[in-house]
Amino acid sequence: MSDTQQPQPTGAADAAAELAEIQRRQQQVIRSTLVPVWYWWVMAAAIVAIGAARDSHVTVVLAITIPLAVLVMVVLTGAMIPEVRRRVQVHSATQPGARGAAAIFGLIVLVNAVIIATAASLDASHIPHPMTIGYAAGAALLVTAGPLVMGYCRRLMFSRAQQQVNDAPEAGGAG
Amino acid sequence: MSTAGFDELIHAPTRLEIVSLLAAAQWADFKYIRDELGLSDSALSKQLSTLESAGYVEIRRRFVGKRPRTSASLSQAGRQAFEQHVAALQRIIARSQQDGDSRLAAEPDHRVHGR
Repeated sequence: MSDTQQPQPTGAADAAAELAEIQRRQQQVIRSTLVPVWYWWVMAAAIVAIGAARDSHVTVVLAITIPLAVLVMVVLTGAMIPEVRRRVQVHSATQPGARGAAAIFGLIVLVNAVIIATAASLDASHIPHPMTIGYAAGAALLVTAGPLVMGYCRRLMFSRAQQQVNDAPEAGGAG
Repeated sequence: MSTAGFDELIHAPTRLEIVSLLAAAQWADFKYIRDELGLSDSALSKQLSTLESAGYVEIRRRFVGKRPRTSASLSQAGRQAFEQHVAALQRIIARSQQDGDSRLAAEPDHRVHGR
């Protein structure tokens, strides 16, 4: 087979190019397991819809909009994860672990805190549409910080994948 | 240049791409590998068979509903061979850098001595 007849790299440049290719493919796997940017926009839209529904004080609007928005968020989140897991699963040594989970949990807590604090303070000041504005503030934070958290997780996974590659001499033994 | 740990089987460009992809994954779906690397079904099957024959890759075939689903993962031997291959590449680079440093140290500074 011709593919097996590849000569060994003749120099450092060939070896470096091969290592770069390895890193590029590892990064490709990591990128494909993270949620896309549009996910945060859909979630933000659902959050704003909940806020607007709460400000409407119309029972029918509340009864339809809130369950629908929650359903969209749950179904989308539920669908994203199996979709990723069905295609590829990142190696356990590369997963973001506790730091990644803490970053995601921190984002959820922060978004909720912003929604509650903004809506409560606006309501106390008798400013119209406090829920809509409060939820919109939380949504704005989500679309801004969501991709940043994903970027953090990606960097964490890249560095772990890089560490695995750098640890290879120990695994491979001395030449 | 002969380098211990350098794996000719992994070194081949297409297989290097496949093995690198699988090295970052616990497992990967056949279609995922095919799409990410832009290979045809037959080209990927051929390379996976070669890697499977060498004991580097494990192929899992299962059914999800009525649909057959094939996934691949690096075996223990495959992961070890990959790590050794990476180590061999790193040694080639390190050796080249050492040679370069030695040459620089051995070279007289013509600009100083020439004057």
